[in-house]
Amino acid sequence: MSTEIAEYHSIPPARRGLLIASRWLLQAAIVIAVAGLVIWLGLAVREALARKGIQFSFGYLGNVANFSLSEGFVPSFEGNWPILEPFSPSNSNLQALFAGLWNSLKVALSAIVLCTMFGTLVGIGRLSTNWLVRNLCFGLVEAIRNTPLLIQIVFWYFAVVLRFPPANAASNWFGGLLASRSGVFLPGLAISERAGVASWGLLAVTFALVVGCVVLRGLRLRLILLAAAVAALIGAGFVGFPLGLDLPVATRFGARGGFSISPEMTALLLAIVVNSSAYVAEIVRGAIEALPKGQWEASASLGLSRSHTLRDIILPQVFRIVLPSLANRYISLTKDTSLGIAIGFPDLFNVYGTVSNQTGRNLEGVVIVMLTYLALSWIISACVNGINARMNGRRAR
Amino acid sequence: MTTLALRWVHRNLFAKPFDAALSLVIIPMLAWAVYAFAHWALVEAHWQVVGGSFKVLMTGIYPADQLWRAWFSVATLCAMFGAGLGLSVRPGRAASTVVALGVALTGVMVAVAIDVHSGMLAAGSAALGVAAWCGVHHLAADQRIVLSGLLAGVVAIFVVLSPPGFEVWGGLLLSVVLTIAVSILTLPFGILLALGRQSRITSLRVISTAYIETMRSVPLILVVYWIWIIVPLLAPDTSVPGLLRGMAGFALFFAAYVAEYVRSGLQAVPKGQIEAARSLAMSSWTLNVDIVLPQALRVVVPSLVGQILDIFNGATLVFIIGLTDFLRAGQMILADPQNSGRTYEIYVFLFAVYLAIGGAITYASRRLEAHLARGSR
Repeated sequence: MSTEIAEYHSIPPARRGLLIASRWLLQAAIVIAVAGLVIWLGLAVREALARKGIQFSFGYLGNVANFSLSEGFVPSFEGNWPILEPFSPSNSNLQALFAGLWNSLKVALSAIVLCTMFGTLVGIGRLSTNWLVRNLCFGLVEAIRNTPLLIQIVFWYFAVVLRFPPANAASNWFGGLLASRSGVFLPGLAISERAGVASWGLLAVTFALVVGCVVLRGLRLRLILLAAAVAALIGAGFVGFPLGLDLPVATRFGARGGFSISPEMTALLLAIVVNSSAYVAEIVRGAIEALPKGQWEASASLGLSRSHTLRDIILPQVFRIVLPSLANRYISLTKDTSLGIAIGFPDLFNVYGTVSNQTGRNLEGVVIVMLTYLALSWIISACVNGINARMNGRRAR
Repeated sequence: MTTLALRWVHRNLFAKPFDAALSLVIIPMLAWAVYAFAHWALVEAHWQVVGGSFKVLMTGIYPADQLWRAWFSVATLCAMFGAGLGLSVRPGRAASTVVALGVALTGVMVAVAIDVHSGMLAAGSAALGVAAWCGVHHLAADQRIVLSGLLAGVVAIFVVLSPPGFEVWGGLLLSVVLTIAVSILTLPFGILLALGRQSRITSLRVISTAYIETMRSVPLILVVYWIWIIVPLLAPDTSVPGLLRGMAGFALFFAAYVAEYVRSGLQAVPKGQIEAARSLAMSSWTLNVDIVLPQALRVVVPSLVGQILDIFNGATLVFIIGLTDFLRAGQMILADPQNSGRTYEIYVFLFAVYLAIGGAITYASRRLEAHLARGSR
C-alpha cells in the first residue's frame, strides 16, 4: 500500500487523471471481455440446441419423469401434511432431482459422522506407542491415499458387498445386523399401538431433558437434568413403552422389518468412509504433532496418564485446530458421492445424467446441479465456520 | 541378538498393559490375515488371467500391429521419469541397487506375463530411465534444458501414438499420458489464475476468485462430463476426439487447484522482494516473471508433484465419457464370462499397480520437499 501512495503523490495531477482513467478502462475492458465470452458461450450453446429443436427453459422440470430410481424420497402432500414418499416414475423431473439430492445427502451426512470418528481413531493410532498399531495405521492411510477412490468404490461393491451371502442365508451379526448381497439391514424403531398418551408424554419430556442437558451449562444442573431424564424414561417404561426395537428377519428376497440399506449405498458409504478416514487421520495426526510438546510434558509432570492427557488436554485443542481442514475434507467427501454413478447409486449427478439423457436438456440441468453443489459447499463451510467461531470465541473469553 | 530382539519386542509391543493387550489382539488377527492372503495369492489365485489380458490392461484396444508406438512411449516415459529424478535425487548406492533390482524384476515379470521379447523391451526401457537418471545427474544438466526435454518427450509421445486415432488409446498408457498432459496444461492456466486472484485490478481478482471457488466446489466428474457434452455443441462442424475433450475438462478443473497452490507460494515470497523490484522501476511483467514466480514456484513444487497424484487418481473418471482407462480395462476383462470368477486377481493387480505408481509420486513429492528445504537453509 505504501508504495502505491508514494507513487500516487509523485505523479503530477494531469497524469494522475490519465492513470486513473486508464485503470478504469482496463477494468471495463476485462469485464466486457469476460462477459462477452460467457454470453458467446451461452448463445452458441443455445443456438446449437435450437438447431436440435430444444429451447432453453426450465419448464421440463415439471414434466413426468417416466423412469424409476432404486431408492430415494421426494416431498409430497398427504392432505395438508407435508410428507416424504418413495420416488415413483409418475413424479416430475424436479422431484427426481430431489430424490437424487436426498440420496447424496444421505451418504454424505452418514459419511461425515463416521469418517470423523474412525479418522480420529486412526490418527491417534498413527501416534500410538505400540509399534504394530502405529505401522498398521500408517500402511492403511498410505494405501488408501495413494490409490484412486473409484477403484475403492468398485472394489467394495463388486468384490465385497456383492460377495455377501444371498438374502435367505444372510449372515447375522450381534443378533440385529443382517448383511446380505441384497443389502444391509439394521434394527429399526417400531411404534407399538398399545402405548397411551401418558407414555408418549413422558418420552417427550425425556427428550426435552436430554436436549437441555446438552445445551445448558453447569455440571450440577446437567446432572440433575440427566437424573430427571432417566427417571422419566423409566416412568415411560412402566406406563407402557411406546417404542420397540424392530429386528430385521431374513426372508427369501431380502429382509422384513428393520432399517434397510441398499447394496449400492453400503458399498459407496464403506468406500467413502474408509477413504475419508485416511485423510481425516492425517489431519488429526498433523494437528496433534503440531501442538507444543510442552503440553504432553506438563500433563506428564502432573501425573496424568497418556490416554488421560490425550482425552482431556490434547484432543480438545486439536479439534480447534483441525476444523478448517475438516471442512475442506467434508466438502470433498460430499463431491465424492457423485462417483456413485459407477456402481449405479442414484445420487444427484446420476439422476441429472438420466434426466438430461431423457430430455436432452444438459444446460439447464448442469446449472441446477452446479448451484446445488455450490450451495452444499457453502453450507458445510458456514456450519464449520460457525462451530469454529463458537469454540475459539469461548477460548478467547 | 535374541536379547536385542526381546528388548525391541518389549519396548515396542508390550511396554504398557494397554499396548500389550492391543498386541495380543492384533498379532493373531494379523497372522491369520497374512496367512489367508498368502495362501490365496500363492495357491488359490489364477494369475494367468492377468498375463492373458496384459495387453488389454496396458493399452486397451490399441491395434496389436502398432504396439511399437506404445513401446516407444514406455521408453520415453521411463527416460523422462529418470531425467526428472536426476534433477533432485542423487543416484546413490542403495538407490541404484533398488533400481537395478526393480529393472530386472520388471523385465522378468513382463517376460513371464507376455513373452521374452516384451520382457527385454520392458527391461530396456527401465534401463534407459536409469541411464537418464545418472546422465542428468552427472552432467549436472541445466534445469531449463531438462525441462524443455521433458516437454519435447510429451509432444513426441502424442505424435507417435496418435496415428491410429485417439479413440483406440486405452489402458494404463491412457491413464499415464492423460495425467502427464493434464499436469502440464494446468500449469500456465493455474499460474495466470493465481496472479489474477492477487491482482490489483478488482475485476480480474473477482473473476479469478469466482472461477477458482466455483471449480473447487463442484465434482470433477460433472466438469468432465459437461465439457464432453458441450464441445460438440460449440463446434458442430468439427469432431473433437473424446480424449481431447476429457483433457480439457480435467485441465479446467485442476487449474483451479494449481492456482490455489501457486497462490500459497506467491504469499510466501517476502514483500521486500516486490518492493525492491518496484523501487528498481521494474514493470509488472518483469517483476512477476523474473522475481516473484521463480521463488513462488520453487516453494510449491512438492505440492504440484503431489497434485499429479490427484490427477492420476482422477483419471479413472474418464469412464464417464466412454474412454477405457486402466480400471475400466480391468472391468472389461471381468465382464467376459470366462473371467467372472477372477474378480480378486484383477482387482489386486490393479490395486498393486495404482499403489506402486501413487507411492512413487508421493515419494518423489516428499524427496523434493526435503531437497528444496535443504536448499533454502
